[in-house]
Amino acid sequence: MRLGGVPSRKTRVLALRYLGAAALTLFFLFPVYWLFMISFKTPDEIYHVPPLWVPSHIQFSNYYVLFKDGDVWAIANSMIVAGVSSFFAIILGTLCAYSLARFNTGGDNLAMWIISQRMIPPIAVVFPIFLVYVYFGLVDGFFGLVLLYTAFNLPYVIWMMRGYIVDVPLELEESALVDGLSRWDVIWKVVFPMVRPGLVATSVFTFVFAWNDFIFALVLTRTEVITFPVQLTHYFGGQSNFWAKIAAMSVLGTLPIFVAVTMMQRYLVRGISLGAVKG
Amino acid sequence: MADVKLSGLHKYYGNVHAVRGIDLTIADGEFAVLVGPSGCGKSTLLRTIAGLEDPNEGTIAIGGEIVNDLRPRERNIAMVFQNYALYPYLTVYENIAFGLRARKRPDAEIRSRVGEAAEMLGIGNLLGRYPRQLSGGQRQRVAIGRAIVRKAELFLFDEPLSNLDAQLRDEMRTEIKRLHHEITTTMIYVTHDQVEAMTLADRIVLLRDGKIEQQGAPLELFERPRTEFVARFLGSPSINLIPAKLVAAERRVAAIFDGGGSITLPVSKSAALDGAAGRAVLLGIRPQHFSRAGGGPLRDGFVSYSTVADLIQPTGTRTFITIKIGGVDAIAELQAHDVESHGQKIELAIDLNRAVLIDPGTGSVIA
Amino acid sequence: MTISAALDGSKRSRSGRFGRMVEDRLPYLIVAPAILILLLVGLFPLIYSLIVSFQHITMTDNDTSFVGFMNYAELFKDARLWASLGHTAIITAIALPLELLIGFLMAQLFIERMPGRQLFVALLVLPTVISPIVAGATWRLMFDVRFGPIGEILSFFAGEPVRILWTVNPYFVYPAIIICEVWQWSPFMFLLLLAALSNVDQSQLEAAELDGASYFRVLRAIVLPAIAPVIAVACLIRGLDLVRIFDIIWALTEGGPGSMTETISLYTYVQGFSQFETSYTAAIAFLVIALLTVITTLVLKRMELAR
Repeated sequence: MRLGGVPSRKTRVLALRYLGAAALTLFFLFPVYWLFMISFKTPDEIYHVPPLWVPSHIQFSNYYVLFKDGDVWAIANSMIVAGVSSFFAIILGTLCAYSLARFNTGGDNLAMWIISQRMIPPIAVVFPIFLVYVYFGLVDGFFGLVLLYTAFNLPYVIWMMRGYIVDVPLELEESALVDGLSRWDVIWKVVFPMVRPGLVATSVFTFVFAWNDFIFALVLTRTEVITFPVQLTHYFGGQSNFWAKIAAMSVLGTLPIFVAVTMMQRYLVRGISLGAVKG
Repeated sequence: MADVKLSGLHKYYGNVHAVRGIDLTIADGEFAVLVGPSGCGKSTLLRTIAGLEDPNEGTIAIGGEIVNDLRPRERNIAMVFQNYALYPYLTVYENIAFGLRARKRPDAEIRSRVGEAAEMLGIGNLLGRYPRQLSGGQRQRVAIGRAIVRKAELFLFDEPLSNLDAQLRDEMRTEIKRLHHEITTTMIYVTHDQVEAMTLADRIVLLRDGKIEQQGAPLELFERPRTEFVARFLGSPSINLIPAKLVAAERRVAAIFDGGGSITLPVSKSAALDGAAGRAVLLGIRPQHFSRAGGGPLRDGFVSYSTVADLIQPTGTRTFITIKIGGVDAIAELQAHDVESHGQKIELAIDLNRAVLIDPGTGSVIA
Repeated sequence: MTISAALDGSKRSRSGRFGRMVEDRLPYLIVAPAILILLLVGLFPLIYSLIVSFQHITMTDNDTSFVGFMNYAELFKDARLWASLGHTAIITAIALPLELLIGFLMAQLFIERMPGRQLFVALLVLPTVISPIVAGATWRLMFDVRFGPIGEILSFFAGEPVRILWTVNPYFVYPAIIICEVWQWSPFMFLLLLAALSNVDQSQLEAAELDGASYFRVLRAIVLPAIAPVIAVACLIRGLDLVRIFDIIWALTEGGPGSMTETISLYTYVQGFSQFETSYTAAIAFLVIALLTVITTLVLKRMELAR
């Protein structure tokens, strides 16, 4: 949409764009920077008026406290819960998606129902689920939380993987069927390898969803299986907040996600946009 | 080794009757080509034989055994697909070995069989590569390799050459012909290209709208078509059809062209047309049945025709000219230098022994 | 060299009866686990909740008798409920267009090739993936009147000390929430719109350029129609998320001051887990579900029609 022109104009426009890009990056990343900085500051520096933009040196005592007090277990809990639920959601969801994609099982109705499940507002179901969980003694346990996150990730996985499976050429499967594979083998030995990018992108999403969830974790855990977001809110006080802890814990809880997302970055854009563009 | 017998086969897709009552027998070791325009049901038929689709009615028998409720992998068949169906995440070796691995054959056996097949197809040096590193022709060879390595009793080909450019197509056609020569397994080949059909087939099965229009040896369909459809489909450029009316002319029959002019048919044709005076027909003359008149007396059944070459299309070995006959544009195939320039007058000889007469109403060939 | 055409040894063979039975039913067998879990966690609690909403279970009373629509009637009289719906509407109505606009402008900036674009995009996506609790907590830190940088920056530009209690001052709580929310989710819109913009037909754009069309003309006539479906879906997804907003508000204001920033989700939570009004909460939950279903259906219908 830009008209070609005299080189100097192009360079000017490019320079402006870089300026804009830099400004945007500043705006969007400054809070993250601030958070990181607080986690490295001493209490004096944190509660300094006016606020210090850069700590005098980087020190890890805030993190040390978290480890010493055992608060770090929240991170471990989140890892387990997010990881296991993602795993099951991916496996069961992709199998289900295969059936929908290749056999049109349940027709439009089933597909519609599954998508509608995604639209369920957590707040509307957290309460009844809480009641049910209390009844079955699933509160404050790994199983209950994993089951829940698996269930909530399933519609998304099914929706996304169905799109990826449909893109796999049918001939590859048919050729394998003629060559001697059973349908079950075809799913694992042909389809799964072919949709690997989709699996990666989708699993990052399911992991992040389970990792970041707050409301279910808040309601369904007490003392045993505290996950990272809930642990974080324990540091909010009425009068004063334990900022050092908030910052350090936030960093600990955010770094894994940053790493995962950055590594899978090129799959993700397709993941997000595919979901939207395919409607 | 197996013969294939289809009886009373029907297949519906919703309301579409794709295959309408096919009875077909293919002998053991035969190379049968299912050919026809798109939508004629040839692919459907092939896939039904493979077991990838189930027929609504009818039976399929391979080697005398009815296979209707056998899964594709249980039918001991091999199939080559149009888009090669190679697994991009496996090497060429693993692609070829795929079926053998699925049947849990021992490694040593796999190695020797894959090697043999690769050798035969000239891809022995590509075994370590991945499909994305191969050209179209090489990929097709790998696909064929995967089929032959399993030593199945029946080979199915679903338009395997459609994705290749013209030159490659010629090459691969020869390869496939040679393949059949060497391993003499029953092969069923689907294509829409009549040149492939003509050159490869022991038997052509021409399909139209889910039914068999005609089947037989290639030259038989070419020289003695039974319907207008067959006459039009085979032959490139296609047959010229000139509307005319038959009249009696002494002891013979003549055709009066609707667009003016007439032509007297040879005795061989007239005999079959006894009592057909007054009938409307289409006179079918293939481009190859025209030749430049030599100047001497014409042979039996040949007539002379003076005309003007409207357009010339030289191909190097032959020259195709557009002429008018019976008021209709027709193509004649002559030797390279028979005609030099557009608008040139030329004296042609037409071999009417080979002409076909078609009833325009029913589409069947009457003589 | 010829290949012997001897039989493979694995001539036509049938698999066992059990194997066939399983394989025939395979499509159903493999959807079963997923569907089962979905039913268990998706449908079952809803039904249970529906039943409860017609009962009369409160903090004090465990009355499971049927009381008809009493709870639902209560809903209409509940001022705090309607206030919370209003709060939700305000936030959604302001944040959604802002996110869309900012996301669109960002996409426009990055749509053309430029070296390092990949890096910028990777960085700009980060706000979206952090926990909303962390986002809320971070901005809470930033907004702090004594130790937060926002006050400093504003003071610098205003030339005099600026002391705003963002998370408590009634005039500033909504801006605070909206700023945090828009900060976190504009990149999401950005990604979607970037993808959509790159799918716009290049040849149309080039033809328009040759014709000398102005920037805005091209935008209106070619670009916007082309990305309209994606915008619609994006708005639907984000819109629904905004209606359900919980974490960010919890971290920033906890619904305060008082119940000024209490959205419908927060109110439901309060009723259920502070007041233990079990049946009433169930009724609210159903109101929310009904509301969202209506909105979603309307929007989807509109989208279908537009197509």
